[in-house]
Amino acid sequence: MQHPGRKTDYRRYRLCSIEVIPLVGTVIGYPLRVTRITGNPFESLMVKSSLQSETAVAGHEGSSLLLSHRARRQQRLAGFLGSGFLLAVTSLSTFAVLFIFYFIIRDALPFFQLQGVKPFFTSTHWYPSAPTPEFGSLAIFIGSGLVTLGAALVAVPLGITAAVCLSDVLPFSVRQVVKPVIEILAAIPSVAYGFFALVIFAPLLQEQGGHILQVAGWVIGAPVALLTTVILSDLLTDRMSPGRRSRARWVLIAGLGTWAFWGLWKLGMSLGGITVSSGTNALNVSIILGIMALPTVVSVAEDAIQATGRELREGSYALGATRSETILRTILPAASSGIMAAVILGVMRAVGETMVVWMASGNAAQIPQPWYNMLQPVRTLTATIAGDMGEADQATGSARFHVLFAMALCLLLFSFFCNLASEWGVRRTRRKVGR
Amino acid sequence: MQLDTRKMLDRSFTASGVLAIALMTAALAILLAPMFARGIGAIFFTGTVEHRRLMLEKFERGDRSAIEAELAAAHTARAPVYQMVTEFEKQLETMPALERRKMMPSFKELKKALHSLLGPPPGTPRPMLMRDQFGQTRWDRAQVKLERVMYREEWDYSHPERGSVKIRKPRVEEFAGTSLVPLFPYLEKNLDRMLLPRKTVYWQFLTDESFDSHFFGGIWPELLGTFYLTIGAMLFAIPMGLIAAIYLTEYAPENPFVSFLRTCISTLAGVPSIVFGLFGLAFFINTLGVSQSKSVLVGAMTLALMILPTVIRASEEAILSVPRTYKEAALSLGAGRWHTVMTIILPAALPGILTGVVISMGRAAGETAPIIFTAAVSVGKPLALWQVFSHPTPALSWNIYNLATEHEAMDEIRHVQYGLVLVLVTLVLLLNLAAILMRARIAKRLRG
Repeated sequence: MQHPGRKTDYRRYRLCSIEVIPLVGTVIGYPLRVTRITGNPFESLMVKSSLQSETAVAGHEGSSLLLSHRARRQQRLAGFLGSGFLLAVTSLSTFAVLFIFYFIIRDALPFFQLQGVKPFFTSTHWYPSAPTPEFGSLAIFIGSGLVTLGAALVAVPLGITAAVCLSDVLPFSVRQVVKPVIEILAAIPSVAYGFFALVIFAPLLQEQGGHILQVAGWVIGAPVALLTTVILSDLLTDRMSPGRRSRARWVLIAGLGTWAFWGLWKLGMSLGGITVSSGTNALNVSIILGIMALPTVVSVAEDAIQATGRELREGSYALGATRSETILRTILPAASSGIMAAVILGVMRAVGETMVVWMASGNAAQIPQPWYNMLQPVRTLTATIAGDMGEADQATGSARFHVLFAMALCLLLFSFFCNLASEWGVRRTRRKVGR
Repeated sequence: MQLDTRKMLDRSFTASGVLAIALMTAALAILLAPMFARGIGAIFFTGTVEHRRLMLEKFERGDRSAIEAELAAAHTARAPVYQMVTEFEKQLETMPALERRKMMPSFKELKKALHSLLGPPPGTPRPMLMRDQFGQTRWDRAQVKLERVMYREEWDYSHPERGSVKIRKPRVEEFAGTSLVPLFPYLEKNLDRMLLPRKTVYWQFLTDESFDSHFFGGIWPELLGTFYLTIGAMLFAIPMGLIAAIYLTEYAPENPFVSFLRTCISTLAGVPSIVFGLFGLAFFINTLGVSQSKSVLVGAMTLALMILPTVIRASEEAILSVPRTYKEAALSLGAGRWHTVMTIILPAALPGILTGVVISMGRAAGETAPIIFTAAVSVGKPLALWQVFSHPTPALSWNIYNLATEHEAMDEIRHVQYGLVLVLVTLVLLLNLAAILMRARIAKRLRG
């Protein structure tokens, strides 16, 4: 039996010098005492130690130890039974996931038999308690997707930037302070996030919605506009002669900058004019879900970025690249599959989250008009399962009960494939950087 | 690109990274600040004489004679209010029918508002509901109720472009020319004499049962329920997780079956929490019949399943980080594989395992979705230990949801909701703090 990696090959230790035992034992603090030497053909000896309360029987042959036949048989049997027991418990806990699949599918199938597959995915008529109930869940799927998209828009840029900053920019001492912040963000219970979204954020959004959007627009837009202006003017003047270049660049910066800020100002005005009719909407939930998914994205992405190793960085620096160029052109492409995994795991967290969306998404089974309108209430899969089970529980066996399992099955399959994809991503990064 | 542009890009790159970190920290601060600031108000607040009466009548707390003296003083201060009301009632009878019919609804509203501010008028039979038996126990709530007495709130729809606008109409105007007019300035001026506000520390908020669907009392049933659920989940998850981790790190050969096991574990980690809830309902209750309906036991089993992957992974990491020399020394002493694991590897890995366990404990305590269908009820008595096998329980996480969205008067019990959130968040943060400290100690030890 070969044990690769960090595992220990136990077979190698079966034969070892008898003098070594008391020596090593004394060194690590387990005094050994040879208690008895019997005169059988194998010249067994009994070694009693505080380490092993029962005596170990060993055959003495020259200067090495061998287990006697009987002892070896016993040990083998015990080892076999022991590892069998361990395997059984391990299988029990890991096969739980198969049980989950089985029981969700078992209760989801009756729904598809009763109502058919197609209307469930294509119709928007969600009237589960009507006399002739309809279970078209397209709007609910779109609600889940919209909220997840919003959360990804918040979590992915912020998370990857933070991960890069954590692994490559910040000094060690600052990192020690920031890490607990991420851990605490991950630890806060989802219901507390939901409470914040419902009781604090939603009224704020409803009363001050326009101003909040305006400020957010400026905070995001201004730096982006500034950077784009500078880069664009630099690129446009790239081929000019050095004498004219500097002046042309400043003129371009001023021109483009004025234009960009005029655009931003217009955007800010139009955002400020928006009235939010209900604070419990897709935008609210997206922001909170984004914050919830952040720790996942940050920690997985940081692991991936760290895994690329020093050699790549040092090579890039040696070629004269700045830190940002090193990271953007060398490190991030090398870690791309790991970062993909981070994004996928963050999305999984957002899709599977229940309490925040249940409390603060408005729970209206409708497709927003137009579909990207984040200011309208939506309904998601998880919230539907949580909310409708209370009424469907009494009607076990009805389509209303089983439709929730059908939704759970969709969630389960989605998370299963996401998981496979993210594992593949992590493995690929490791392989690519040769670790 | 010019060198200065490249430098600037590099700096702005650093700046955006720092900005992202700052935003994250700010998000955490914004999130936690109101929870702590207002949550603390569930324990430290300005309590009125009604609060002290409640404590005396329900729990026999406080100095009876002192509170009775206070109550007497309060009643003397309230007497003119009730006198004015009775006078107005007499006046109402002498009014012409048309005017009386106009006055009646607003008078009824006023009486109701007065009742909820000061409690039942003296000499009336004791109301059935407990919330009607007492006036406002908190001074901040009393201010809100005073507002209701002084003003009538109306929604103005006359400007459709601005939507509905809330306007406040002073009630004095409605009763102009009647004997009720002096009531309003009197109330505004003498409310503190009627309610005798005083700084109160109600630490029993943590250990009292709740009354009348959380209008009064504390959160002991919820706290105890969360405690049972968490401990129960750990009782299932720790042994199973630990054994699985030992097998996977020390015993498992590299074959397709074991890599299948690993895939199963990572899939389990990705299952949405609500699906665990459905599974608990479908498997533990509907199929196995662990209990007739929801119970703490089923909830704990479901939670255990949810945190199992976390426990396994943390234990695996901790076991793998034990230096190889420890194992080799033990084996060279003739210790068997199992013996090595039990006496050398596990003790060395224990702090790391504990860190993982503590973190997953925090997760189990805070999670709501898995216990919705398996263990949680909105209102309940604190359970005795033997009831956990068959009874559902209130829990912190579930009751935060329940009180904030489904309660009949959620605005009136904001302090209880914030208190619940504060307790839950503090609990989880303390567990995580313990984990962080433990990890720091391990890192220090490993550095030497």
